[in-house]
Amino acid sequence: MKGYTGRILKVDLTTGKTHARTFDEKYARKYLGGQGFAVEIVYHGVPKGANALGPENILAMAPGTFNGFPISTGGKTAFAAKSPATGTLAESIMGGSIGMELRHAGYDALEIVGKADSPSYIFIEDDSVEVNDAADLWGKDTRVVPETLKKLHGWDVKVACIGVAGEKLSKIACIDCDDRQAGRAGLGAVMGSKNLKAIVIRGTKDLVPADPKKLLGIAFRYQKIYEAAPSFIEDTKYGTGEFLGWINKEKGVFPTRNWQESVFAEREKIDPYWWAPRYVTKNKACFSCTKPCGKLFEVKSGKFAGVAIDGIEYETLYSLGSACGNADVESVARANELCDLLGMDTISAGVTVGFAMELMQRGIITEKEAGFKLTFDNASDAVPRMIEMMGNRRGFGDVLADGVKVAAQRIGKGSERYAIHTKGLEPPAYDVRGMKGHGLAYMTSTRGACHLRAGFYAPELVGKFWKWEGIDRFSTANKGFMVSQTENFMCVYDSIGLCKFSRGFYLIAKLPELLEAITGLAFTEDELLKIGERVHNMKGAFNAREGVTRRDWLLPPRILQDPIVDGPSKGHKISVEEMNLMLDDYMKARGWTSDGVPTPEKLSELEIS
Amino acid sequence: MVKMLVPYPENCTGCRFCEMACTIYHNGTINHADARLQVHRRNVRLDFPSVCTHCVSCGDECCVKHCPVDAIKHENGLVRVDQELCTACGECVEVCPFGVMRMEEKAFNCDLCDGHPTCVKFCPTKAIMYEEPKPEQYEKVKKLLAPEA
Repeated sequence: MKGYTGRILKVDLTTGKTHARTFDEKYARKYLGGQGFAVEIVYHGVPKGANALGPENILAMAPGTFNGFPISTGGKTAFAAKSPATGTLAESIMGGSIGMELRHAGYDALEIVGKADSPSYIFIEDDSVEVNDAADLWGKDTRVVPETLKKLHGWDVKVACIGVAGEKLSKIACIDCDDRQAGRAGLGAVMGSKNLKAIVIRGTKDLVPADPKKLLGIAFRYQKIYEAAPSFIEDTKYGTGEFLGWINKEKGVFPTRNWQESVFAEREKIDPYWWAPRYVTKNKACFSCTKPCGKLFEVKSGKFAGVAIDGIEYETLYSLGSACGNADVESVARANELCDLLGMDTISAGVTVGFAMELMQRGIITEKEAGFKLTFDNASDAVPRMIEMMGNRRGFGDVLADGVKVAAQRIGKGSERYAIHTKGLEPPAYDVRGMKGHGLAYMTSTRGACHLRAGFYAPELVGKFWKWEGIDRFSTANKGFMVSQTENFMCVYDSIGLCKFSRGFYLIAKLPELLEAITGLAFTEDELLKIGERVHNMKGAFNAREGVTRRDWLLPPRILQDPIVDGPSKGHKISVEEMNLMLDDYMKARGWTSDGVPTPEKLSELEIS
Repeated sequence: MVKMLVPYPENCTGCRFCEMACTIYHNGTINHADARLQVHRRNVRLDFPSVCTHCVSCGDECCVKHCPVDAIKHENGLVRVDQELCTACGECVEVCPFGVMRMEEKAFNCDLCDGHPTCVKFCPTKAIMYEEPKPEQYEKVKKLLAPEA
């Protein structure tokens, strides 16, 4: 079996014991790699009713099948665990190089279970695996930690770590590697709950593709074709926020001031077409990506002088920008930097701040409670200030540190009416009142409101994708079926290790040829999509087992009750009837019960036990 | 005109495609530690490639001079390690100012892929070019490498 290392490493932090198990071709064919492996490990390993922040939870990390091979955008690594934010099986994907290094150390996945007695880090050097003391690293930020560990172990090691937010078990904490994050669903808190500050890896083993010559040939051909794509060129110039202006003005679905508005009037000042020429000093890329959509954003003067981040990504321009009414791009950058350093997901953190701002606007919380003027018109100062308090759980920051759902429970006084989330996860930058299938995808996403489990914003905004044309974003017709299909599609991408930004380029059609050159295994498109369906069903079955069913999926009140007030999508909302219609269609397309539970027949068909 | 690899640190995004392409071209396998050039990813501001300059950068011929068995020759503009003579003592790896003399069973280095460097072909951002040597670019990399100690 070429391409794979054929081994999975398990580290038990309670006992300090480590064990490498092997897997065969059958396992690889069934789960593919990356998310598939990570989900399999969590699905079979985490006991029913497990405390997400208890030693029984498992943090799995698995590089995608392409990871480590020179395929453009193919360097993604999946993390998975039972999420403390949603109580569901949640995975989060990053472009940091930690997964590639794990493969060179000789493993296709890492399974971490138990809890260390005291702050620790795992050091993997090929077959040697140690759990080392991290007392000196505790309390340190996500830039100091890798620098310290690299000075100790050599500059060639790769480091994934958590910040203070993860240590303090914030349910919106992320995992960081190379200034790239596995951001969503609080997996950083799972690491923190295990007293695990960092994972350090040096791998010196060869990765062996089945057909190196062929692989190099196809890799080069695809790299060149991809380079000519218009989206490639625009993203390289302006980063992932390239389409912000279009979404804001032409589509009117750019959530603003905690989703009270859907067009950000001050958009120009956070649009990369404005800031890229002024602040970007260099292009950056994830590991193994020839499309540098990462931007080194540097602030050279003023009160935010010294800020340097890999960003600002589209989602962050919304969460720390428009969602908080923040039109000061330097403030957004500083808040982004604080999120990175403290180890918090920028989407969840920003949406939570915006939520608190609306509460103050409505008089539900006071300036005295918050400690300062936490208002939309004071956003430039307030956003970075509150992010810093949240990451450190200081003052009112402690109330907000676990995201909007928990914050609303803590605050009470009807604040739940303004808390925007599904399953406990804050939504990304697409106002689904004006894109109904994507609204369905927020509900069906196994990790809560997410733009990437189905990626359905693209089909609805562009009107076509993959095998479909003429998609109407305001219609509910056929959305259940299409969302289930694109979810399977995305599970393939997260398992194979490709970035979803390249999904319109590779689709599924180009994958079998690449897979065969790497692994020597022949897959048809249908077989790949079947794996995607299997992975999604495992997550669905896990969630149903944990008691998360249809009634827990529903959209928040704002989306169901408050129509969009301005712009091209004015007047639209998703009604309860439309929501239920789409959910019914979706369950049918999935072969699940109307409550959202995968049936025994479906599981058996997919060979899930 | 003699052509060499020229690094442009300001263009490097840290994707490391060059390292993968280099080893797959030479060995049929991928191993970043065996790549005949290196990408350094130090912090959010700093990614840069370090390449073999075949001593055109300063003419010091550190590896050639320090080899105790004279296994390294500088011929026709290229630094080459004689695999028969090399005793794998590691001296050349120690002294190379760019850290790109590599060691497996024997020492080896960049061979410019017979005039068609694979790293240059795959670099998406012109961070490594095959062109007339540019001393100022080599100096930049030397400076960036210095704080490592």
